Amino acid sequence: MMIELKNIEKYYANKGVKSYILRHVTTSIKQGEFVSIMGPSGAGKSTLLNILGMLEEPTYGEYHFMGEDITAMNERKRIELYRNHIGFVFQAYHLIDEMTVAENIEAPLLYKKIPGAERKSRIADVLDRFNMVAKKDLFPNQLSGGQQQLVGIARALVAQPSIILADEPTGNLQSAQAEQIMDLFKKLNKEENITILQVTHSEKNALYGNRMLTIEDGVVKEDVQIK
Amino acid sequence: MFKLNLKIALRNLWKNKGFSLINIGGLAIGLACCLMLMLYVNYEWSYDKQYKNLDHIYLAKLNMKFNGNIASTGAVPNKLAAAALEEIPGIKNAARMAHTNGNRLFSRDQNKFKLKAEYVDPSFIKILSYNFLMGNANTALNDPNSIIITSSTAKKLFGNVDPIGQSVKWDNLKDLKISAVIEDMPKNQSIQFDVLHPWAFFDQINPNDKKNGWGSITCGTLFELRDNVSLASINDLLKNFIVNKEPELKTYLYQPFLFPFKKNHLYNQFENGKVAGGKIDEVKLFAFLAICVLFIACINYMNLSTARSEKRAREVGVRKALGSARGSLMGQFMLESILLSFLAMMIAFALLEISLPYFNNLLAIHIQINYASVLFWTVLVGVALITGFLAGSYPAFYLSSFIPVKVLKGFKGNTGTLSFRRLLVVLQFTLSICMIISAIVVYDQIQFLKNKPLGFEQNNMVQLDLEGELRNPSKLELFKTQLKNSGAIISASEFAQQFTNGGSITGDISWPGKPAGDNSIISYRSTGFDFSNTIGAKIVAGRDFSPKFTADTSTSVMLNETAVKHMNLKNPVGTIITWADNPPLKVVGVIKDYFNEDIGKKVEPTIYYYNVKKSNVLLMRLNANQSLSTSIGNIKNISQQLNPAYPAQITFVNNGMEEKLQSERLLSVLSNIFGGFAIFISCLGLLGLALYMAEQRSKEISIRKVLGANLGDILVLLNKDFLKLVVISNIIAMPIAYILVNNWLQKYDYKTDINYLPFLLAIVASLCIAVLTVSLQTFKVAKANAIDALKYE
Repeated sequence: MMIELKNIEKYYANKGVKSYILRHVTTSIKQGEFVSIMGPSGAGKSTLLNILGMLEEPTYGEYHFMGEDITAMNERKRIELYRNHIGFVFQAYHLIDEMTVAENIEAPLLYKKIPGAERKSRIADVLDRFNMVAKKDLFPNQLSGGQQQLVGIARALVAQPSIILADEPTGNLQSAQAEQIMDLFKKLNKEENITILQVTHSEKNALYGNRMLTIEDGVVKEDVQIK
Repeated sequence: MFKLNLKIALRNLWKNKGFSLINIGGLAIGLACCLMLMLYVNYEWSYDKQYKNLDHIYLAKLNMKFNGNIASTGAVPNKLAAAALEEIPGIKNAARMAHTNGNRLFSRDQNKFKLKAEYVDPSFIKILSYNFLMGNANTALNDPNSIIITSSTAKKLFGNVDPIGQSVKWDNLKDLKISAVIEDMPKNQSIQFDVLHPWAFFDQINPNDKKNGWGSITCGTLFELRDNVSLASINDLLKNFIVNKEPELKTYLYQPFLFPFKKNHLYNQFENGKVAGGKIDEVKLFAFLAICVLFIACINYMNLSTARSEKRAREVGVRKALGSARGSLMGQFMLESILLSFLAMMIAFALLEISLPYFNNLLAIHIQINYASVLFWTVLVGVALITGFLAGSYPAFYLSSFIPVKVLKGFKGNTGTLSFRRLLVVLQFTLSICMIISAIVVYDQIQFLKNKPLGFEQNNMVQLDLEGELRNPSKLELFKTQLKNSGAIISASEFAQQFTNGGSITGDISWPGKPAGDNSIISYRSTGFDFSNTIGAKIVAGRDFSPKFTADTSTSVMLNETAVKHMNLKNPVGTIITWADNPPLKVVGVIKDYFNEDIGKKVEPTIYYYNVKKSNVLLMRLNANQSLSTSIGNIKNISQQLNPAYPAQITFVNNGMEEKLQSERLLSVLSNIFGGFAIFISCLGLLGLALYMAEQRSKEISIRKVLGANLGDILVLLNKDFLKLVVISNIIAMPIAYILVNNWLQKYDYKTDINYLPFLLAIVASLCIAVLTVSLQTFKVAKANAIDALKYE
């Protein structure tokens, strides 16, 4: 089992009044699944994704990632685990404006302390696969939104994560570009067996995956497999 | 990773050119100021540090007691060196040193120069490590008629001829032989001379000095102690050394002690026989100033960097989401700030090189950058590194602390740190305002001293050393008459020494009604006739010395007002006073106090007596109806005719008076320049805060505008916050500045009143500058299109 959540709760206490974001979320995700998290605004989808991505900590509950207890882990080990297994894709791409395409893709490899020669070959490989060799020296603001998101995905992939977490990856894109991105995710999931978890509003995008988790008011309402 | 970080840092600098400019510019100015001050501090600090055996070298000082006050002097009995060397076991070497007033003429053919000479015991050159270029150091001072000269003196006298064994004529009287040439000494050594005579020569020209008792203090003495000898034990032995030899001196205390030579320059003030600072206070002040200016510049950098936190926040969030640890982010920000500080250092270095000659000239000092010195480069790189770390530390900690989820959702830094930065700005401004006030008060004091009536007429007054033929009274009379006839001068009078220098003192004067046990110190000066007219001072009672009264050349004296007050004389004219074993002296006149020695200090009680023989200088009042150059030309010509061996060196009294204010001028220049820079840099800091605020509050301002606020309302709203900071700074700075300047003024007997004006000026200046700076930014924000800011929410 890749991810196991037990009774995850998240709330913010304000003057003694607790406002819950997530309540009793218990679920598990297997290696190779393509899960779409759906639900209305403010339901807690992004918070759940952030907790899974170790960017936020649950107030309460247990989170096991590849058999290891995350909540009990120290910061350094967590960053280590995170670097090696998790790739993030954001709605607003969040590329670093001061870096070129190639440098943006290189960044996670630097943090993983991968030697220079291998970095180069991996970047070349990814650029080639995404047909972006010609654009490698451009800066993010010289690219279209779809291209930026492609760089974002390339950046997530280059570190060879076991899971990609995507927070509304197509939210800022036009439909044609969105389809291209979703096809890419599907292909990665099928051909390379990468686990993908995406938060989305769109039913259509959710259908690219093979499982759908619906969250409402912090509680898992539905959990269906898609054939 | 490092390479990439460096690349990104450079790109960041390039992308935000305006910002980088403010940042690097501010830091560069701060660094330049700091380096300049550090060079100056180092210059003072390295005084006398060039001697090899410095830790074992001591200077003899003497504590003496007069009317309950203990005074410490560097003059000691000339018997002390030999006696102490013989009787006190820990002393390895002892050397006396003496110099005569004024420089003596040394001539070789047509090369005639007045050179500064020092008379020393032969062991002097063993104690102080001089670099002998020619001649034998061991025997150089053995023959009384041999001299050691410095290399520049050798060049002046002999050109390229080998000087060893050559002779020069001393004072047009005697031939002396050059035995050795030493390297010129650095400017920052306290013992400076052109020529070194053996002590035996001093004995030849002052045969009576040998017979001096223990009571007369005539020379300085250097001691070298053996290894492993404690200063305290030697000082214990020395304490009663003189009194044991001559018990009647006990009333005057007469306790000699050794003072480390390395401290001699910086710790030159003594109170009650103990060292009480001196030049070191000034050096400390400047070191403190250096740190302050650098600190202000660093605060600036912190402020400006964190001001851009919103722009950087997203980058931090993304990097963290990509798996960056906090440490490596901090490293990146540190790298940026160190890069910046190195860039700033380069500019600062250029600024320093450009301004150094001007600075040297202004302060009449000689500072040079020693490019070969490892220390210099180490300090340069060290300061740049420290500045980088200091300036980068806060942004690094602050920016790297962002929580990725929050910043990626559009968080804009939190307000808690804003108050920290406000504190920094208040600190900056407090320092700057203190500097402004101090600068104004120092300036006031200088003006006050400049404008204070001196009691004599310093303009059109010149002086000439009496030497050679002019020491002959009849020749001197002829000289004076010819000068008057030529129309160059209207009056002239002999005087004990250079008019603007200090002079001799005595404790041996008694007057009617002098309390028993009063051993007050009275200054004495020899003069000629017509003294008060020549210097332009007033006679308050009685008359000046005059050839009409024969008694004037033997038993008449004049007092100054302070002396009359000191002696408590009701009718000073006619009073009979006694002075040592002279016949009774009659006071014939009282001269009004005049300030020729220390403008800021009270005048010393002084007694004047007629004696041409003991006078070394001729004071002359120039004829105001004749042009200055004609008069000076006349004097030179007549001197050339009557006294051909000696070139006439005429000095202007008003130049000498100008030099009295040298240390005040230095302080004024430094506090002006650095105060100005501090304010400038602080304004950059304020600008940084304004920029930050503009980012923070753009939404609030837009909403207000949508709700109908006009430009004026918004400007008031925004500027109010900053003015509050400046007002707070003023409130903090005022009392601090008051205490500081009040303390500084304590050392003057005559000082300007501290009024509200400097403070008012500082308030107005700081507020105006602040409003201008902040408005640059707030105006832009207030004018911006409201929709732009709201669209992105």
